[in-house]
Amino acid sequence: MGYVLSISLSGYFVFFAVSAVTAAIALLGLGIVTGSAGMIALCQLTFAAVGAWVVSLLNVMEAPGGFIVWLVAGGIAAGAAGILVGLPALRLRGVNLAVVTLGFAAAADVTLQQIQFPGSKDGIPVERPDAFSDDRQFFFFSVIVLVVCALGVFWLQRSRWGASWKSVAFSERGTAAVGQSVRTAKLTAFAVSAALGGVSGGLLAGQVQLPFPSSFTPIQSLALYVLAVMSGTQLIDMAVFGGIMWVLVPELLKRFGIPQDWGFVIFGALGVQALTSGTNLGEEIRNAWWKRRGRVAPRSGTTAPVEAAPASAGPGARGLDDRGGTHDGGSSPAAAPSPSSPLAAGTAGSGRPAHGLALAVDHLTVQFGALKALDDVNVEVPAGTVMGLIGPNGAGKSTFVDAISGFLPQATGTMSLGGTPLKGLSPTHRARLGLRRTFQQDRVPPSLTVGAYVRFVARRHVSDAELADVLGFFGCPSAGTRLSTADIGTRRLIEVAANVAAKPSVLVLDEPAAGLSHEEHVALGERLRTLPSTYGMSVVLIEHDLDLVRAVCSQLTVLDFGKVLASGPQDEVLANPAVIKAYMGETEML
Amino acid sequence: MNRRVIGVAALAAAALVLSGCGGASSSSSSNSPIVVGSINTRSGPATFPEASQAAAAVFDAFNQAGGLNGRKIDYKTFDDKGDPATASASARELVGSDNAVALAGSASLLECQVNQKYYEQQKILSIPGIGVDPGCFNSPNISPANLGPYNDMALTLFYGSEKLNLDKICVLLEIAGSTRPAYQGAIDTWSKATGKKPFYIDDTVQVGASDFTPYIVKAKNAGCKSVAINAIEPDAVAQVKAANAQGWNDVTWLYLTSVYSDNFAKAVSNAGSGIYVPAEFYPFTDASNQINKEWRDLMTKNNIPLTSFSQGGFLSAKYLIQALQGIKGDVTRESVTKALHELQPIQNPMVGTPYTFGTASTHANNTAAWPIKLASGTNAWQSSGSDWIKLPQ
Amino acid sequence: MLQGALAGLAAGGLYAALAVCLTLMSRLVRVVNFSQAATGMFGAFVAVWLVTAAGLPIWLGSVLGILLAGALSAAIGWIAATWLSEASTTARSAMTVGPLLLLISLSFILFGNKPQPFSPILGGPAFEFGGVVVSQVTVVMVLLAVVVAVAVQLILTKTAVGTQLRALSERPTTAELLGIPSKPLSIAVWAATGVISAIAIVIVAPSQSNDATSLAMLIVPASAAALLGGFTRPGLAVVGGLALGVLSGLVAQIEEVALIRNFLPFLFIVVLLLWTQRKEVWDSAR
Repeated sequence: MGYVLSISLSGYFVFFAVSAVTAAIALLGLGIVTGSAGMIALCQLTFAAVGAWVVSLLNVMEAPGGFIVWLVAGGIAAGAAGILVGLPALRLRGVNLAVVTLGFAAAADVTLQQIQFPGSKDGIPVERPDAFSDDRQFFFFSVIVLVVCALGVFWLQRSRWGASWKSVAFSERGTAAVGQSVRTAKLTAFAVSAALGGVSGGLLAGQVQLPFPSSFTPIQSLALYVLAVMSGTQLIDMAVFGGIMWVLVPELLKRFGIPQDWGFVIFGALGVQALTSGTNLGEEIRNAWWKRRGRVAPRSGTTAPVEAAPASAGPGARGLDDRGGTHDGGSSPAAAPSPSSPLAAGTAGSGRPAHGLALAVDHLTVQFGALKALDDVNVEVPAGTVMGLIGPNGAGKSTFVDAISGFLPQATGTMSLGGTPLKGLSPTHRARLGLRRTFQQDRVPPSLTVGAYVRFVARRHVSDAELADVLGFFGCPSAGTRLSTADIGTRRLIEVAANVAAKPSVLVLDEPAAGLSHEEHVALGERLRTLPSTYGMSVVLIEHDLDLVRAVCSQLTVLDFGKVLASGPQDEVLANPAVIKAYMGETEML
Repeated sequence: MNRRVIGVAALAAAALVLSGCGGASSSSSSNSPIVVGSINTRSGPATFPEASQAAAAVFDAFNQAGGLNGRKIDYKTFDDKGDPATASASARELVGSDNAVALAGSASLLECQVNQKYYEQQKILSIPGIGVDPGCFNSPNISPANLGPYNDMALTLFYGSEKLNLDKICVLLEIAGSTRPAYQGAIDTWSKATGKKPFYIDDTVQVGASDFTPYIVKAKNAGCKSVAINAIEPDAVAQVKAANAQGWNDVTWLYLTSVYSDNFAKAVSNAGSGIYVPAEFYPFTDASNQINKEWRDLMTKNNIPLTSFSQGGFLSAKYLIQALQGIKGDVTRESVTKALHELQPIQNPMVGTPYTFGTASTHANNTAAWPIKLASGTNAWQSSGSDWIKLPQ
Repeated sequence: MLQGALAGLAAGGLYAALAVCLTLMSRLVRVVNFSQAATGMFGAFVAVWLVTAAGLPIWLGSVLGILLAGALSAAIGWIAATWLSEASTTARSAMTVGPLLLLISLSFILFGNKPQPFSPILGGPAFEFGGVVVSQVTVVMVLLAVVVAVAVQLILTKTAVGTQLRALSERPTTAELLGIPSKPLSIAVWAATGVISAIAIVIVAPSQSNDATSLAMLIVPASAAALLGGFTRPGLAVVGGLALGVLSGLVAQIEEVALIRNFLPFLFIVVLLLWTQRKEVWDSAR
């Protein structure tokens, strides 16, 4: 295709097409930061300038390897610059990154004016690769570079990195809770984006042969950012489309004799429109496409393995998703399928202590200002059990989960996981040690598919069979389903399934059944009860429904006003007079 | 959403149409118009629109008067946005698709430097109205109508030290693009001619800095009596104002033609001990003189601003027409190039040195300027001499 | 040295005034307004046009230009309040990149890129102090920044409107339930900051580079200054602005570090971020 274009276009348009290709590569990078990872980066062309600068420098030095090697070096240098610029902004939310990057763009622009590109003083043109020295051939070369970059991005988007970018864009807590470092996720996104910017700049250096700072001004970076948001360039085809827009809008203005400055006025206005409506061209086109495909094959790829589904789920008990029911609700409690071997077997041999304490919490205190949300809490979770954590609203259950999973660094007291002290460890680290949690709020990134999400959360190689197994066990939709089409209750189930697939030693579930019907609720409880025996993990279940708790949990801890009211085997706790007293007046009778 | 899909399709279609129409190239026959091109920076933070407007006015008048033996000149102008990629693309469209025979009246921040190799390959010549970047003065294929900032810098220093008898001249340079060596060359030329050296050179002055006070304070504290600056108009206004705010009123300013405008004169009330500029062309602010009459009438008729830039554009178009009129036979790129190479020096009272092109490897033949000054409180430029100033060769 | 440092104060005052506006916006309407300086620039350019082309007296032209800047800012605020009332700070801030781009390009089209012939409202030295000249603009700018910061503090803490504004920013839902008119109030904040930044720019522009890009890009040093106060404390923002101005004035005096001058706002931002973010903080919302 690129070759056909390169021989069919006229000389002038070949040149313009190269400009479109370089813009597309830069946009591809921006798509990762702004689209996938949800950050604001306003210095994409400054990274391009770094790439162009390195290419010109190597050209002047007559470094070995020729243009292709220089181009790669330019990309790497820009990626490194991206890491340096991104480092201070790592823990920050998007706005600070925007301030940093805009500051960087402004500073680099002025500096570039002064120091200039190597070789420009003497007018040494950048040597193009031998096989691609004229404009037509160079266009073909640039298309090859674009394809390589696009394939790289395509592959990265499907890798752990890609999943972590999408996850961090949706929720930083959710990302950390599955053992993915938020910092690494942001930094990789920023570095990859900058590297692509560098490649684009290097290519531009080869195109014009004498790069000038005026190609890389902050204003143009702003325009490129707006264009990236507008067209949704995390999608590769949209990046190419954006690249075409980048040269087509000025070209059309020229044809109609309109001053070029209107180009950025148009970009600005469309950008405001796109940013306020929160949509972009790419997504809308995809949605339209999926809708059409959805009509043609509404059930393709959703063979819910749970066959025992004359299910108790009454019609309309759960909000069906917009495809008219892509999956069945669940199974009856008695028929909860037990997973076939790989997952379960793997666990048995993983050397986790079958005896002793899976999780021990001593003197845990969390204070918010004057309020003690948790006051000297001691909880022990024996290995291989399901422990229920109950208590009225505001008793401190979710604070407890946040504290043990590491989201409340100010918590005092000691915690240990299977004998390993957790004090001072980040949420990411705790998750990697085998302490997993789910959230009450929805923290499942909707831009992933079910399968990609489960694999991302599991943090290990999960075979297709294993994946189907665990999804089937929890009655989830198939791996190919997009999470954005699943309703909230289903997303919570998928979250549980994914965390089970991670094979943690302790899994803390914060009201996993919210959003499920009563029957599904009970079915879930049945499955949870089997987790210790089939998957070898201990479960801490926070739950309101006392029936369920009674049916599932062998151990119980009752929290009230931040204190432990009672803790121990279920029957003992439930017989505790203080517990009975606290629960007087609750709807459930003990 | 459907609207948008249609929009995308429309854009794609537009792209195809554009690429299609670019593919057709016209062949030159004896009645088709002669294509002359120009590439200008017309959008972005620094622009030069007047040169090509003036050249267009000259060509229009020429066409109305019958053209070149009945053949009209089709003058195509492009905006390079100060962007090298756009400048290259424009050159390729002009030369490759439109079959331009020559370029005239260009005024761009970087076009010469970007395209000089391409012009050499394509054997096409360019007469920029205003040559700005060093590339306009170091290529065999480009010979601008104007003096250029480098010779202008040498002249402003020369005028300051020799005619105004200033000492302690400090040079403040705003370096945009790769112009530093070219300015150094200008300063060296002046030193060689006069045996004098700058009191100091500060080449860190930011182009378009938000505040020039620190640089002005530095110069004042160093004891400079006059400053020679290569600033463009907005920066120069800011620099003079910064000195005003610091109460530095006994400084003499030596600027370049780039600040020679009515706008600048209106913006500056307190010019210290005077602002002196070597004008590249005969001063346009002298309305009574006959030298500029033809230019002035044409500009006024076409509503084109009276600036040095439009003088340059006007002259470059005149020069090209003169070369075209000397061609016997078909007007092609080859014949125009040959005609320009063999062009006899053209005398024009608007400039101090005759215009030539020739086959030299670089062109910086224009070496004379007319001294003008802006005194405090006048808000108007005045002639400051009765003859062209020239560097002693 | 001292002269150099003082030379930077006028610019510092401008950074400070803009930084206070940014802080106010971030605190009250949850946005880092990238078009803060651009709206002021546009208002100032319109003022110049009114004076030179329409022949209005300077004071009237300036007032109208400043009001237009307020109206522009209010229009952006209206967009934010209408379509992005529930959106995150990031999304709201990202939206303001559009107007920044648009206003710069539009002013190229409408006013060209030639210097704007600002008739200086103030000019010349105010006084000399031990051989060091302090210009009138410097005095006025520093005063303006301090006055704005103090006024903001007083309005927020001592008046009923201030209480409502704080309620709105800290407990938006509760405030809505109490019947506080959220949309008009937040648009008023936008308008007020638009007016303040336009005043600052109108005062400083005659003595500075006043092309559209350099004025609009004042947002960079201004946000660096605001960052010192963590986008929440106007007092520290003023200190940050003045410090940044003085620092860049100093750096320009020393040949060896002149290149750093360009990077000064950026380095300022980076150092501040590294300091304020040295502990990991989990945003409760995400």
